[in-house]
Amino acid sequence: MEKTLQVLNVLERDGVVSRYAIGGAMAATFYAEPVLTFDLDVFVILPQTGGGLLTLGQLYEALRRRGYVEEGECVLIEGVPVQFLPAYNALLEEALAEAREIRYEQTPTRVLRAEHLAAIAVQTGRAKDRERVRLLREQAALDVDYLAGVLARHGLEATWNRWIA
Amino acid sequence: MESVDRLNPEVARLFTAKEERRRQLAALSFPDKVRLVVQLQQMAAPILRTRGRDARVWNLDAKSA
Repeated sequence: MEKTLQVLNVLERDGVVSRYAIGGAMAATFYAEPVLTFDLDVFVILPQTGGGLLTLGQLYEALRRRGYVEEGECVLIEGVPVQFLPAYNALLEEALAEAREIRYEQTPTRVLRAEHLAAIAVQTGRAKDRERVRLLREQAALDVDYLAGVLARHGLEATWNRWIA
Repeated sequence: MESVDRLNPEVARLFTAKEERRRQLAALSFPDKVRLVVQLQQMAAPILRTRGRDARVWNLDAKSA
């Protein structure tokens, strides 16, 4: 996965994406026990386009030029299917802005904060998101004050309280 | 669900050991966890394929494109 992250860093350096961070199950795995996933979810801030639309077209094109091909909803980058998800709301924009800078072996990268992963799971609201919240609460040493702020800013407190009741 | 302290002591011991194992897994380095995820993929992929799902196991040693 290190080579995959190196490609993501090049995309950011070249301005193809403005910022990226690992999310989804692999980010949860950073904070908790490993969980099965077949995709690497990568949240991205895309450069501003004239029409203001969130489109992954230019990103996919840049990857094609580097020899990485799409497979369904993912792009296979150095043996890892990467699913790019543009930041489509305020919570994701905040999560990307405040993502943790880490190193994967020798390569710098970013991973969403555990508190944002929990809030995103609440916002998404599927059964597997409830399981993610349970896992993060159990193993991720959440900063409860920080989490409370995230939940309040994005109107997620009521759902959170129902989920943990 | 029955609480652990009301279970047969042997079963309770097994549950406790399982929790401890999960804590140990959570404390591994990120690269070690990724290697375990790939092992999970290797275990799960054949089962998922029999159900018609296209499950690709990550190739962490892939050659550059």
